[in-house]
Amino acid sequence: MCILCSQLFNEIHWSDRQLTPELITRGGGEAGRRQGRQIRTRLVERVLAHYHLDVSDDWSATNYVVANRKGGHQVVSSLAELWQAAGKMAGQNLDPLDDTLLEHLSDSGHER
Amino acid sequence: MRSSRRDVCVLAGFLGSGKTTLLARYLQERGGTGVAVLINEYGAIGVDHHMVQRVEERTILLEGGCACCSRREELAAALRQLVELDHGDELLSVREVLIETSGLADPVPILFTLMSDPVLRHQLGAASVVVTLDALGGASQIEQHAEIRKQIIAADRVVITKADLADRLTIENCRIRIRRLNPTAKIVVSVLGDAFGVLAPDSDLGHAGDLVKAYGQDFAMETSPHRDVRSTALTFNGPLDWAAFSVWLSMLLQARGPDVLRIKGLLDIGDAGPVVLNVAQHVVHPPDHLPVWPVGERRSYLTVITRQIDPGRIARSMETFQRAGGRAGFRVHALS
Repeated sequence: MCILCSQLFNEIHWSDRQLTPELITRGGGEAGRRQGRQIRTRLVERVLAHYHLDVSDDWSATNYVVANRKGGHQVVSSLAELWQAAGKMAGQNLDPLDDTLLEHLSDSGHER
Repeated sequence: MRSSRRDVCVLAGFLGSGKTTLLARYLQERGGTGVAVLINEYGAIGVDHHMVQRVEERTILLEGGCACCSRREELAAALRQLVELDHGDELLSVREVLIETSGLADPVPILFTLMSDPVLRHQLGAASVVVTLDALGGASQIEQHAEIRKQIIAADRVVITKADLADRLTIENCRIRIRRLNPTAKIVVSVLGDAFGVLAPDSDLGHAGDLVKAYGQDFAMETSPHRDVRSTALTFNGPLDWAAFSVWLSMLLQARGPDVLRIKGLLDIGDAGPVVLNVAQHVVHPPDHLPVWPVGERRSYLTVITRQIDPGRIARSMETFQRAGGRAGFRVHALS
């Protein structure tokens, strides 16, 4: 349980660097966690745009909300769950080795 | 800094490859205090149990199947029982847990069981995998049995056993076959279990040092004769962005998990020390953030072992994700 936001952490994902249950309980590392989280969410957003999907953080920046353009959405708690949920919404396996996705990421990088 | 969690070692290896000899020797030499042993026997009577019990009282025997499939829940239950006994003062404090698997077991589902269990993942540290391989029959067993290839790919340390029965060429042949499948595993040669020290918990720095050494010495290997299995070593022209890397890796494992057999490396993420990364199929060990670099220059190394995936595609994909994550000039170079 984080003392700052009362959010219950039942699992620390491997991508949350240097976080421990003890640190979270003390409310430590929150600024760094949110910063890393923001960078991750921005990149996921660009990836999912290729599949006409969107992603955002919930209020506590501990869950992701994946949405499609028909108004459907799903709340997930980790990157692993996110790719699963997004794959179901897109109706296809989201493959980071897919050449068209890589071209999209390269092109959208130039537009920024 | 050592974690307060118990160290776990999974000991795998084909039938008759010398697992019990190594284990018994380790327990004899170490004295047995603070070590708990779980033995998974495939068969009606767990003969090995009786051999080990003489030197280690805290042995729990899992009978009737492979730890990787039918007995996964039982393995978790047995480990929970160990942890509970420890808390109840019925045992002296357990610092190490050794799991000897049946000869056919794939270590990866065992790692998954340990890491996904809500109780065990807080009580046990990341498990290391030690695999025994018989020096005489090892090279041909690798060719013939997919189970052995899986074990070697999942291994952190491989012990070539019964070295007194084989000549130097045969042992070297074994070593080459192991290297082709797993370029970063530490390989040791053993006679009558005298390499028992590989079962001891690794120090973090020693482990990272082994990795760097493996890259320095052995990476110019020809590709595996198992054409569907390919390995490559990558390095980068600068620190990588951890957030972008975690997005890329999580997506890769979701899409291609069964075919990404192993990812292992030391990563420069711009901190004072590197991150030690160890992935076996869909199981990601919690990355270890070291305070300093172990030896030599500050440089990232990443080994990727894949099945039916061109390693060049992995490199291109990773580079694209890093650039998209804000590292504009990031480049991935193949070392092999």
